Amino acid sequence: MASIEIQGVGKSYGAMPVLHHVDLSIQDGEFVVLIGPSGCGKSTLLRMIAGLEGITSGAIRIGGQVVNELAPKDRDIAMVFQSYALYPHMTVRDNMSYSLRLRGTPVERMTSVVSAAASKLGLDALLDRKPRTLSGGQRQRVAMGRSIVRQPKAFLFDEPLSNLDARLREQMRVEIKKLHRELGTTSIYVTHDQVEAMTLADRIVAMNGGVIQQVGTPLDLYERPTNLFVAGFIGSPAINILEGRLRCDGERRSVEIGSGERISTAPLAHGHDGQDVRVGIRPEDVQISPKADGGPTAHVELVEPMGLGTIVHIRATHHALKAFVLERVDYPVGTSISYELPASKLHIFDAMTGQRFPE
Amino acid sequence: MTTVPLYEESAHRKHTPWRRIMLAVEPYIYIAPSVLLITMIMLVPLVIGLSYAFRDIQLINPFSGGFIGLEHFRTLWTDAAFWHSMKNTLVWTFASVVLQFAFGLVLALLLNNPFPGRGIVQALVFLPWAVPTFLSGLNWAWLFNPVVGPLPHWMAALGILSAPENILSDPSLAMWGPIAANVWWGIPFFAITLLAALQSIPQDIYEAASIDGAGPWRRFTDITLPFLAPTIAITVLLRTVWIANFADLIIVMTNGGPADQTQIVSSYIFTQAFRRLDFGYASAVAMVLLILLLAYSFVIILLRQAMLKR
Ligand SMILES: Nc1ncnc2c1ncn2[C@@H]1O[C@H](COP(=O)(O)OP(=O)(O)OP(=O)(O)O)[C@@H](O)[C@H]1O
Ligand SMILES: [Mg+2]
Repeated sequence: MASIEIQGVGKSYGAMPVLHHVDLSIQDGEFVVLIGPSGCGKSTLLRMIAGLEGITSGAIRIGGQVVNELAPKDRDIAMVFQSYALYPHMTVRDNMSYSLRLRGTPVERMTSVVSAAASKLGLDALLDRKPRTLSGGQRQRVAMGRSIVRQPKAFLFDEPLSNLDARLREQMRVEIKKLHRELGTTSIYVTHDQVEAMTLADRIVAMNGGVIQQVGTPLDLYERPTNLFVAGFIGSPAINILEGRLRCDGERRSVEIGSGERISTAPLAHGHDGQDVRVGIRPEDVQISPKADGGPTAHVELVEPMGLGTIVHIRATHHALKAFVLERVDYPVGTSISYELPASKLHIFDAMTGQRFPE
Repeated sequence: MTTVPLYEESAHRKHTPWRRIMLAVEPYIYIAPSVLLITMIMLVPLVIGLSYAFRDIQLINPFSGGFIGLEHFRTLWTDAAFWHSMKNTLVWTFASVVLQFAFGLVLALLLNNPFPGRGIVQALVFLPWAVPTFLSGLNWAWLFNPVVGPLPHWMAALGILSAPENILSDPSLAMWGPIAANVWWGIPFFAITLLAALQSIPQDIYEAASIDGAGPWRRFTDITLPFLAPTIAITVLLRTVWIANFADLIIVMTNGGPADQTQIVSSYIFTQAFRRLDFGYASAVAMVLLILLLAYSFVIILLRQAMLKR
């Protein structure tokens, strides 16, 4: 086990920059999830840590040692690939013990380590099978087994669950979390799936366009997204973003959305009267009620029952909103509804820079 | 679902026996023309050729042509020239296949790495394959000729030869002339097929192996070779059969000489048939070669299947 330090790391393919000055420090035993849209450089960063890609600038340290020039085999890390990358001509047992064999581990120890890992992952009955005779979920387990047998300094996962169906993905997610709790090995996990990110991570690293946007605990990112990108990327159903204009009335701040409708906000440190802003509010924070109680009103456009709750799409004169309620409501389309956007739940962003307004 | 068999059954009961036979025969009538054509083109010549082996057919003797049973094979059994050519065939085939394969594999491995100008180099490497064998035989014969070719002088300078002489006229070395030409000419075959096989190996398996701790050599032996094995088996099989039958270069370069030192079975067949004009005996030799190669192919195919099943 070891900490991983990424200092000012950049990566270019030819003249095309892919990663820009990435700084990230991961503590020993931490579970860090890299999340971001396709092509933002998550895999590239992970592969640079593994030693599969060269480092254009900056330094990567594993356990305090600079590994820029070290070959993958000398970095003592394990990686689980999206495609699993099992050796098709070897049995499950040989797949799992390959790294130990390369290190000249004594046979008895190898056998015991492999069978321990196999029983941990429920692979005992499959040890003599070839990968092609296994299901996707079983292959995934073998790939995990292959990385845990040699107790590496860190685990790297590149979208390990994305080839599995939803049910299995949920199950493996739980197993990965348990495994991490048990082994306590530093882990970096790349995913598209925000449920995976939210549930697994000690800290999430949100990336976009080769730049780290925000690093923080899952709830940090959810409740205090630092910019419009993170706000929009994290959360499902996605956050509502409204265009608006800041109004300063002495100490009181409010935002004018559409023509004239004002919503008051929590106190803000910055901002001048008339400044263009974006207002974000999560669907579960939008409060709706079918009674006209004097607040602004809108009409129902669409109702999506989710089982767990209901997403109600409403349209006011100048904007549309999604509201998520836990009740099983079934408003007919066109129903008039009043809504409220609580000041404490609003996220205010600068329309120009996309950055969150400091409070 | 259940209505279909019911319907068929009732339809069957209505057919007369004649119609039922016609229905059973119908598919065979459709494929009959192709089967006939294939038989005529492939099997008839083979059978006629093989039948010569049991007849006394000499082109210069108009009274020959009678059936003589196994007479040719009895002669063959005691024909020292045949056994000598058999031994030469082994040397010729083994040395050619091994060298072609070794160089082809090295070349494929080199071409599998990206480098600037790879496209052009690939095209150049595959050029010998496009040269007619007759031409490459002549070309190599000249290269080994000390009067016009540089090779004897180079080899003498390197100390491989004591004097710049033509190895094609040295009985103990002559075989290496056609082998060299054959290797040069046949490398591209192995390079092309092995390169295609190499390129079908998923890159992430190499990455997984290097993270597991495998260096270049272990990656080659533990990943590349097992992936290539089925291709290696089938290409070596094809080339072995092909080279064992391949007399063009020998005929052009040495004509079996000096003193029959480069005579292989297939050039011996050629000599018997077209120099001595003894078609019957040539067919008998050809039949022995055919049976040996069939047996060899059978063994290799069994090996390959065992390997694929593993
Ligand atoms: N070998 C390469 N040569 C050139 N460009 C590359 C190469 N590998 C990756 N890229 C580029 O680098 C960028 C980041 O790629 P990367 O694979 O890291 O994305 P990602 O965030 O993992 O995306 P995804 O979620 O789709 O896997 C992409 O724009 C990609 O086109
Ligand atoms: Mg990726």
